[in-house]
Amino acid sequence: MHIQLRGITRRFGATLANDAVDLDLEAGRVTALLGENGAGKSTLMKILFGYHRADAGEILLDGAAVRIDSPRTATSLGIGMVFQQFSLILAFTVRENLALAHPRLPWWLARGARAFPDPIKRLREIAPEVDPDVQVARLSVGEMQLVELVKVLNLEARVVILDEPTSVLTPAEAERLWAEIGRIAADGAAVVLITHKLDDVFACADDVAIMRRGRMVARLETADATADRLVHLVVGEEPATAQPIAAAPDAVVRTWIRTLSASDEAGTIADIDLRIAGGEILGIAGVSGNGQQTLADAITGLATIHVGELIVDGRTLQAPRAETPAQPSVACLPEQPLRNAIAPDLSVAVNLMLKRVRDLPFLPDRSRMLADASALVKAFDIRPTNPAVLAGSLSGGNLQKLVAARELSGSPALVVACYPTMGLDVAAAAAVYDALFAHARRGACVLWISEDLDDLLHYAHRIAVLYRGRVAGVVSAATATRRQLGAWMVGHAEAETVPAVHA
Amino acid sequence: MRSFILTGPGRLVVTILAVLLLTSGFFIAIGRDPFSLLWLIARSAVGDGYALTETLVRTTPILLCALATALPARIGLITVGAEGQLYFGALIGTGFVLANLNGTGPWLFFAMLAAAMLAAGAWAAGAALLKSHLGVNETIVTLLTNYVAALLVTWVVYGSWKNPASQGWPATAEFPAAFKPFTFFDSRVHVGLWIAVALALMLHVLLTRTRWGLTLDILRSNPRAGIAAGLRWRRNVVLTMALGGMLAGLAGILETASIQGRLQANISAGAGFSGFLVAWLARNHCLRIVPMSLLVGALLASGDGLQMLANLPSSISLVVQGLLFVGVLLAGGGLRRLERGHG
Repeated sequence: MHIQLRGITRRFGATLANDAVDLDLEAGRVTALLGENGAGKSTLMKILFGYHRADAGEILLDGAAVRIDSPRTATSLGIGMVFQQFSLILAFTVRENLALAHPRLPWWLARGARAFPDPIKRLREIAPEVDPDVQVARLSVGEMQLVELVKVLNLEARVVILDEPTSVLTPAEAERLWAEIGRIAADGAAVVLITHKLDDVFACADDVAIMRRGRMVARLETADATADRLVHLVVGEEPATAQPIAAAPDAVVRTWIRTLSASDEAGTIADIDLRIAGGEILGIAGVSGNGQQTLADAITGLATIHVGELIVDGRTLQAPRAETPAQPSVACLPEQPLRNAIAPDLSVAVNLMLKRVRDLPFLPDRSRMLADASALVKAFDIRPTNPAVLAGSLSGGNLQKLVAARELSGSPALVVACYPTMGLDVAAAAAVYDALFAHARRGACVLWISEDLDDLLHYAHRIAVLYRGRVAGVVSAATATRRQLGAWMVGHAEAETVPAVHA
Repeated sequence: MRSFILTGPGRLVVTILAVLLLTSGFFIAIGRDPFSLLWLIARSAVGDGYALTETLVRTTPILLCALATALPARIGLITVGAEGQLYFGALIGTGFVLANLNGTGPWLFFAMLAAAMLAAGAWAAGAALLKSHLGVNETIVTLLTNYVAALLVTWVVYGSWKNPASQGWPATAEFPAAFKPFTFFDSRVHVGLWIAVALALMLHVLLTRTRWGLTLDILRSNPRAGIAAGLRWRRNVVLTMALGGMLAGLAGILETASIQGRLQANISAGAGFSGFLVAWLARNHCLRIVPMSLLVGALLASGDGLQMLANLPSSISLVVQGLLFVGVLLAGGGLRRLERGHG
């Protein structure tokens, strides 16, 4: 199958999301669609999938113009898409989820689908270790992604679109997915991989199409591409790089997380005892879901604390049964900003000053709020630039920037950052790192939760590994090895993995 | 396909047409001439001075109950408890009156209002505390406690508070004059109407101009983000519910003291539920609630006219009230589809 998009144009209000974009896709090839947040990649593919309509332009399948006015039409034409937000029903089993979406299964059998092996045949091929009778809620994010992919493949998709599939995956899960993508293409499908990570491009794309600000700026074979050239094409200028921090932390401990045990709907942590010196960046590594979110929630007052306390500069900020007003001395870049840190149906301006609402006069001055917000919007390059727009209309990357603008613009004593660059492109990630590490240089404590071991090893002073809600080990980044961290991450004891030390 | 967007007045016209069509369809279905009946509704609602004042009388409790629904809605709570709060306010307010039957002094009237409002506020706060501290669904709790409050009133008016002089009629003793609200134009329109309108204006300013209104907006939009920013979700859940309860309780005691003159079962005539629907129609916007209450009040007031002049049961106005909301829903949904271009 040969798909041609010709002159696709789509406007959202004042934003030209796609500006006369051409793109050719061919069977058997993996095309990476690369670009910054808001470059128009997702919009273009959602038009191909019938989720949005183009204002102008046409789509040709094997030379014939087709009108794709809904995802249903797209599906019947053999186009399938795996979205960033999964559409799995968490309370159902894998088998039930696959059966529900399977075209050949009669609807009255969808839930009692045990007798129909067909929906899970592909699951067996792609992810044999996933038990089809386990609840989807119990799967890891990587496994959910594979189930989502099987769902699309079950629809006999000849064009498979994946929207930022690796942004939520661990490195091992990503490698797994790259292999599957290669296999799908080898079976004759055209695969589109929307991404802003160069790793994805080099790992599995045959060619790469680059978008910038709604336009298609380049199309080249992966074999001809270099990282420098791609980054240059994506950002349109030399990328900013984060300053590695050289400064050693002070000797003074400013933050003490003392024997903390807490729980919330995300999980439980027990006996966490960490001290962070002024100027120190303490990285928290671990497989997602081992208590990272709960740790961050406990520090910001969203989790229930059972034992222990958070002490910053000698003041107890969190303790069991304490009322938890926001502390200006603690900044937090949470995971999933839309869920944890953004009021989506209020303006960007209000969201930027969320933490200062309590200090506002009884009759707030709205024009001053907008003016204050404009400065921050500009400083952190949030788009669109109008602070009066609703925060919920921003793209994921811009939401992240919004939260960074709010949390990192003051002078907190402790900064908690959960996966702060997830979903950000190279330049935006560097900007967030810069802002984050500037606080460490200023003398603040930084608690940085990440799954990117390379970044942690590069930038953090010490790394603690969380496993099942407990600290499995703490090590100085200078002496840490990936092997040791990896062993802690999966719960192996130290002695097993590093016998050489004692030799 | 060209997309299709109607602005404010256009939407209103489409909505009114949808409601009129539905209502006419209903009248045709029961074998009556829709034009004469619609005209009769209009005349019975606002046709003369008496009709107009009766409309205002019906509007007052609906307006207060709509505000009682809209205020908790600003923090994202869906409460259908105005009905029960109205009953509970009337119950405790009446208890105060019965304890002070021989009292004199202008303070008594205000003390009665205060007793009713505090009681209804506490009643609502009960449901709010279940929500804020145990996560119990506020909609279900308020729905169910409505029956409890209404049955409590039935219990006392058939039981210990029944007036022995009323010859078996289930009602308390008549309220003394000291407890009757000030009325206007020699009619049943009482001071409660102006209190309600003033409260609507005040709430509008509070909710749209102040830090507190902004706080509620944030906590509604994303409680997690709000709590992380140091806003007090639990406190504001209880506060908005309690204040809302006070408004509904005020409606209850005013209705009892002014219109009925004594406590009896069935005081509300569905004002709590009408208030919920009005709040929804006005999208919890306190200024829009005023005309919407007037509209629904007029509709319900026309029931008596329909009964007398068209020989229809007065509950027909409840059916029309229902059709009003169905019509608004249909028109709203239809317009949204057209705007999205899936027409």
